[in-house]
Amino acid sequence: MSTPAIEAINLTKAYGGRPIIRDLSFQVNPGEVYALVGPNGAGKTTVIRLVSGLAFPTSGSVRLLGQDPHAVPAVRRSLGAVVEAPAAFYPYLSGRGNLRLHGNLAGDVSDERIDEVLRLMELDNAAERKVGVYSLGMRQRLGVAAAMLTRPTVLILDEPASGMDPLSLHLVHSVLQEAAQQGTAVLISTHHLDEVVAYCTRVAILEEGTLVDEVNLFDRRERFRASVTNAAKAKALLETAPFVRHVAVRGDDIVFIPTDADDIGRISVALAQADIGVTELSRDIFDLRAYYRERVGAERTRRTGTFPAPGPDGTSPGTRVTGSRSTRDSTGGE
Amino acid sequence: MSTLLRMEFNKLFRLTSVRFGLLLVVVFPLLWAYAPGIFEVYGFFLVSAFQVPALSLLSSMQFLLPLLVAITAAELLGVELSNGTMPTILLRPVTRPQWLAAKLVVVAVYPLLIMLVFLLASLLAGSFYGFGSFVGGTGLGDAGLLGAGVMQASAAMAELLQGYAVAALALIPVGLLSVLFTVVFMNAAGGALATLSVLIFMQLLIVFPRLEQYLLTTQLNAYQTAVNGLPWAIALMVVYSALFAAVAVVLFERKDF
Repeated sequence: MSTPAIEAINLTKAYGGRPIIRDLSFQVNPGEVYALVGPNGAGKTTVIRLVSGLAFPTSGSVRLLGQDPHAVPAVRRSLGAVVEAPAAFYPYLSGRGNLRLHGNLAGDVSDERIDEVLRLMELDNAAERKVGVYSLGMRQRLGVAAAMLTRPTVLILDEPASGMDPLSLHLVHSVLQEAAQQGTAVLISTHHLDEVVAYCTRVAILEEGTLVDEVNLFDRRERFRASVTNAAKAKALLETAPFVRHVAVRGDDIVFIPTDADDIGRISVALAQADIGVTELSRDIFDLRAYYRERVGAERTRRTGTFPAPGPDGTSPGTRVTGSRSTRDSTGGE
Repeated sequence: MSTLLRMEFNKLFRLTSVRFGLLLVVVFPLLWAYAPGIFEVYGFFLVSAFQVPALSLLSSMQFLLPLLVAITAAELLGVELSNGTMPTILLRPVTRPQWLAAKLVVVAVYPLLIMLVFLLASLLAGSFYGFGSFVGGTGLGDAGLLGAGVMQASAAMAELLQGYAVAALALIPVGLLSVLFTVVFMNAAGGALATLSVLIFMQLLIVFPRLEQYLLTTQLNAYQTAVNGLPWAIALMVVYSALFAAVAVVLFERKDF
């Protein structure tokens, strides 16, 4: 098994005796996009700073490519990061000037590479302008450009898309997705749950510094739901089928993950041959927003006995959403 | 390290406090050079351009110059904290001691720079009185401004250069102390304020005569009167500087950002 690109092991961080992060463990593997989501104050930024080596854990440890970033600063040569939102640059330097400065500090960054990342983030026309006059979104894109400068194998970004217009948002997410496809491990914190579902591999839901849940979105995207005449019988059948990786009952439905998406026809045939009627078969769309509300709300209820379930932007939503298909899913413990 | 040093010097000249400080040390000597009521207030006349630098120094070394140096040192670090650029730079393969060391070097060079400008501006402001030999003293020697007979221009210049160099050296630990406090408080205003408070407090400690020779504030006067001699004063300035810089680096290494 390969070494995780990022590894947090029983991470705890306390300020003035008050724990901000509590016994947090997770791994991000090469080629994976791992998202930290949670209400404001959940500890996402602290986690980002801990794993990037800017803050020291009270207990537990962090590994970047198997190394302690505090003990081996050279490991940061493989790291690209944006830890401020908006990304922080010297306002009196141009976009290109800031990138050149970062390139000089990182070493071995050519002018061609600077041009390349400026083009990648669609900042080539603003490259000579001083960063002080950049808009929030441009500054954020420059932050991603700076992070990509050294072709890092690990990318860590704190709310890389905050304050962005929809086109810029799409651009940043596309760039991160492509980086992951090329083998880079990407860790982001974000409030953009819809985009997260579209391309992240796994999502960690944080609340009050605790990892409430870790959702494997890769599996969720490959999941199907079937309304069947006999859910228990269908489950028993598919559990023994070699082309089904996982199956569970959800009310009158079954939810399953085929070994391969092309096997869906074979599953239909198998159910029909066992006299199990299928009234509806569709890809099971995972509603992370509802799941998030459910999990954070449940955690708050457990902890305080109240239910101020927050929206993904950290605000209280006003009404509790229960009973939806996806909410019922979420309690299934997959 | 050379990249970091270049970067820090570049930042130094963009700081508001540096621009203000340089303006101040250029304008300040003009007050002395052209003060119309100097005889009525102080009972002497200026007779040489070599006397203006001493008056500039004597009137600014107790508060104004330490204030300028402390604020600049705090701002050099504080501006990075307030605009968030420090964490971004620390994510590059630059160690924390390297990054802070570059700042400490710049803070140590700044007093030398500002004193050089101050000396040149003072000489220029007093050029009206001429640069020849004169009867009297520069104000930095034992005989003060009245002197002991004719003073040669070269001797006067040597006295001024030594006085300004010693004053600049005495300001270095003040700047480094300001960096140390800025690291502690992670705030430029807190760093500068704490430094000035310590200097004021130290000045009060002269009521303990045994302590006086060890105080940093005593060394701020070494350009004129070095208690225990100049080598002792310079040695103490070096010790204070090394101590403040070392503690700043150690604390900075363990800070959370």
